[in-house]
Amino acid sequence: MKNNIRINELCFSTLSSNNPNSLETYLSQGGYSTWKKIVNDFTDKQEIIDLVVKSGLRGRGGAGFSTGKKWSFINLESDEIKYLVCNADESEPGTCKDRDILRYNPHAVIEGMLIASYAIGANVSYCYLRGEFMGEVYKNFKQALNEAYSNNFVGNNILGSEINIELHDLIGAGAYIVGEETAMLESIEGKKGFPRYKPPFPAIKGLFNSPTIINNVETLASIPKIISNGPIWFNSIGTKDSPGFKCFSVSGHVNKPGNYEVPLGTPFKDLLELAGGVKNNKKIKAVIPGGSSVPVLPGNIIMNINMDYESIANAGSLLGSGAVIIMDENTNMVKVLHRIARFYYSESCGQCTPCREGTGWMYKIIDKLLSGKGSLKDIETLESLPNMIAGSTICAFGDAAAMPVESFIKYYKNEFLNYIKNED
Amino acid sequence: MKDKDLYNIPSEACTKINEWLLKFPDGEKKPAIIYALHLIQKENKYIKSKHVDALANLLNLKKIDVYEVASFYSMFELEKVGKHTISVCTNVSCMLKGSDEILAYLERKLKIKVGTSSDEYFLKDERECLAACCGAPMMQVDHRYYENLTKQKVDKIIRDIENEK
Repeated sequence: MKNNIRINELCFSTLSSNNPNSLETYLSQGGYSTWKKIVNDFTDKQEIIDLVVKSGLRGRGGAGFSTGKKWSFINLESDEIKYLVCNADESEPGTCKDRDILRYNPHAVIEGMLIASYAIGANVSYCYLRGEFMGEVYKNFKQALNEAYSNNFVGNNILGSEINIELHDLIGAGAYIVGEETAMLESIEGKKGFPRYKPPFPAIKGLFNSPTIINNVETLASIPKIISNGPIWFNSIGTKDSPGFKCFSVSGHVNKPGNYEVPLGTPFKDLLELAGGVKNNKKIKAVIPGGSSVPVLPGNIIMNINMDYESIANAGSLLGSGAVIIMDENTNMVKVLHRIARFYYSESCGQCTPCREGTGWMYKIIDKLLSGKGSLKDIETLESLPNMIAGSTICAFGDAAAMPVESFIKYYKNEFLNYIKNED
Repeated sequence: MKDKDLYNIPSEACTKINEWLLKFPDGEKKPAIIYALHLIQKENKYIKSKHVDALANLLNLKKIDVYEVASFYSMFELEKVGKHTISVCTNVSCMLKGSDEILAYLERKLKIKVGTSSDEYFLKDERECLAACCGAPMMQVDHRYYENLTKQKVDKIIRDIENEK
């Protein structure tokens, strides 16, 4: 066991306490001190944005875009109303880190939201939780929010200053696509979750037509310590292009599935070891390293790479949301792809034809193969579909649906061929 | 959805809906639809056309504005369902850990097919990822998560529901 891996120091730091979600625990770990200092010093907004740019923090929702750069798209000079939205619509298959951050460290999310709101000049911010989080997750977040209000960290004249920031909880009702940032804006406005055309980007024209920044839960929960410890601290962890810590949800065929927050650049082997290794001492066959929307990687490839944005990209996949799904040697890859394809088929919002129709074609062809009725021609059609969908849709869902299909056939074509009985 | 009788949204719910609207800019009514539909569904178990009409009326919106939200989001039920909603996740992480067996076991135990209801239970169509992948296989009963499921655990969960009656 690697005892030298730094684990759960940032978003999961409160897990070391018996009462992780309480305000006392958060305060005892220095919580809200960053926010108090900003409010007290009336820190220059641009200074905060520059710090976040320098830290190299990349959006933890999946796209990995520079958080500071995203914030810098806001025109600070404009006196338009601005909004901050925390994306807590965690739905990428395999990902369950945000749920645990919201359950066990809700105050870090709130403090991050406050700092981000202040930095971009937003007086109103929303945390949009997926509808299925209505039980424990919502309860914990709401309780923390009430505590933050009663301590005047949020609200009017925050801590005696002239700063006013409202922070509201919102709840969705089940739709994967709402995790896409412009679909989320539509959903907040009380509509179907149809992604919007870009440009205009939300930073120019977002919620209720006003400049808006949307950040993921883990991204925002990372902010307070990045500001208080400084970008040099954050840069000292991880790699040059992937600084800091990242929460990985390790699931599937492992002995100790769980969320592990480790420095980016941690060797996959070590992460696997943290998760107790492959179950029943079996061999590792394949890994989906960043949620079901990213290409699968064979075990022998991933065993030799590190868990950072550039290493995974060099190996032909993406770090995505950090959802690491482990599959052992007995896994039927056709069945796995069948399930993934069903997901995209049922979750496509239907707005763009290539995605709406293409996801159905992919699912139905794999279904046909599984039932033993497929032909070589079906596999050829299946191989041709990802190219027709990716890049031809309003949002990235189309690419997300295409990437797994392409990669599963690339690495495991024989398994697909094995389902063909009559070669014609 | 044919209900001729009119529905009045209870005054307590109306108050909650109006409070919810305070979160949004003045005059914006649509942002309350999702929240209000959750309230209505909680009260009535599923959403009928008379509920959609009543909500549109309350918020001064077109019926289609409410209906298209009710039909877009997967948590809203537009047909009659049983008292308790059971959602078994069968997405990849859960599938690798045997969610298909859990689902089949529940079908046998509750004597209903996935996607159908008895008076007591609604076994919701195979659910997509519910963000509890490290506790796979998992399911949700109403709004509660149950993780690391085994047949024995499922037995206990159902027994507890029966005992609560």
